[in-house]
Amino acid sequence: MDAAAPIVTPRASDAPETSGPVVYRHSVTTRLTHWAGALAFVLLVMSGFAIFDAAPYLDASDYSNPAHRVLAIDSKAGPNGAQIGVTRVFGHEFTTTHLLGYTDDGQGGETARAFPGWITWPAYQDLAGARAWHFFFGWVMVLVGTIYLAVGLLRRDLSLLIVRPSDFPKMWPMQAYYLRLRKEPPPHGKYNPLQKAGYTVVLFVLCPFIVLTGLALSPGVDAAIAPLTSLLGGRQFARTWHFLATLALVGFLFGHVFLVASTGFFNNMRSMTLGTYRLGKNEGTGK
Amino acid sequence: MNRGLFVASAAAMLAGCDSWKNSLNENDGVKRVLHVATRLNHAVIGTHGMAKLYSEADIDRDYPTNGDPTPADPVYQGLVNDGFRSYRLPVTGLVDHPQTFDLRQLRALATLSQITRHDCVEGWSVVGKWRGVPLAHFLALVRPQPEARYVVFYSFDHDDGGQQFYGSIDLHQAAHPQTQLALDLNGKPIDPDHGGPVRLRLPTQLAYKSTKWVQRIELVSNFRKIFGGHGGYWEDQGYEWYAGI
Repeated sequence: MDAAAPIVTPRASDAPETSGPVVYRHSVTTRLTHWAGALAFVLLVMSGFAIFDAAPYLDASDYSNPAHRVLAIDSKAGPNGAQIGVTRVFGHEFTTTHLLGYTDDGQGGETARAFPGWITWPAYQDLAGARAWHFFFGWVMVLVGTIYLAVGLLRRDLSLLIVRPSDFPKMWPMQAYYLRLRKEPPPHGKYNPLQKAGYTVVLFVLCPFIVLTGLALSPGVDAAIAPLTSLLGGRQFARTWHFLATLALVGFLFGHVFLVASTGFFNNMRSMTLGTYRLGKNEGTGK
Repeated sequence: MNRGLFVASAAAMLAGCDSWKNSLNENDGVKRVLHVATRLNHAVIGTHGMAKLYSEADIDRDYPTNGDPTPADPVYQGLVNDGFRSYRLPVTGLVDHPQTFDLRQLRALATLSQITRHDCVEGWSVVGKWRGVPLAHFLALVRPQPEARYVVFYSFDHDDGGQQFYGSIDLHQAAHPQTQLALDLNGKPIDPDHGGPVRLRLPTQLAYKSTKWVQRIELVSNFRKIFGGHGGYWEDQGYEWYAGI
């Protein structure tokens, strides 16, 4: 099917973001890899939090060094003797009882634990189990990402979402449109300039970075590819980078879901399930 | 809706999934599927290259002890009391020259001193100076037979349920020049809390593979019939046999 051919003619009554013709937006490969990647990502983050719980602190050093501690999630006796949860970020202590430090044990109670059972996978503390899930879905993610990139390169449509200098002047107008300071988005192709910037950073910076920082934690990889762990500042530092990359990707996920919901939820969901999408104002299908 | 209430109800909704998540984690079919990844990890990462070497300044003199302290085993306690003078390390199984070594003989073979990082599966790391016998050199003395594939290390330690600790590595890992039967930690004989008098040190894999308090060594063609059949105490608890990652 020709990606640019309109399937349905526009309707005048439609809202600005869904007033154009309906086009075929996402290929079967894109839709399948999107949802497989989404599942793998959620399981990787949750099992990663469960793995973090086994040593709930991060150091900016090669081997463990409390003097270089960036983050520590801990529990201690509170003022009235009951256990409380505390989170220390660069030495600043915050009370986080019930959320972090002293929280859901994943089995209906509360215990001294960094991340709560409702956000970890599995819910209770099981390092061996969490590692098994993490490595399996790590491989799934790498496989899915490779298929997506390879197919995108072969079809020559990967370049549609790569940000280029000509997108920079359009970024503020696009942001202004999102903030309702402008009535219409600037003219753009299949992806708008902010989407391109976001997807470029996620696909080509954060995703490779999170894989490399994860591998750098392993003694086997450290021995086999010696410069990798050292370049990241050592094993504990790699763990800190891995965690920060996770936070960045989780931040992207929240922004992504918010924008999917706020820019024509059903139209967006249709494009990522059935493939068809009604173009908005000033929205095209090319670069 | 009030934001606090929204977060609380979202958390309650997610907590409702807890028992479902936990039962998936315990499902044997799911476990078998997930463990495909550990075979991939072993095939792709394996044991190549050398673990990073550190300097004296990196050594942590307050080396942490993890897991159990000194084993309560009466035989081991007897050895502690006589300063390990009656310690004997038998090497049996698929070898042409089964032998028993005492500490004096082992010390004479202790040619490898290395300052390496100990990486715990929990996520922390510590640097120590280990001196001991290169395992490759040691195994050459007992002459492994062609069918031998794994070296099994049995520990003096037992868990609360009475299960003996043990671990295994393959001959490829055993031949790695940094794999050693360690005798000294930071310039002193390894104390009973850190796995003395003899423990395995494997800087290219996570430290749960470095069996402490080695009681005897056996060479085998497979470990399916040894205890839980997964090649080690931790492996029988669900940890990966290949712990390079």
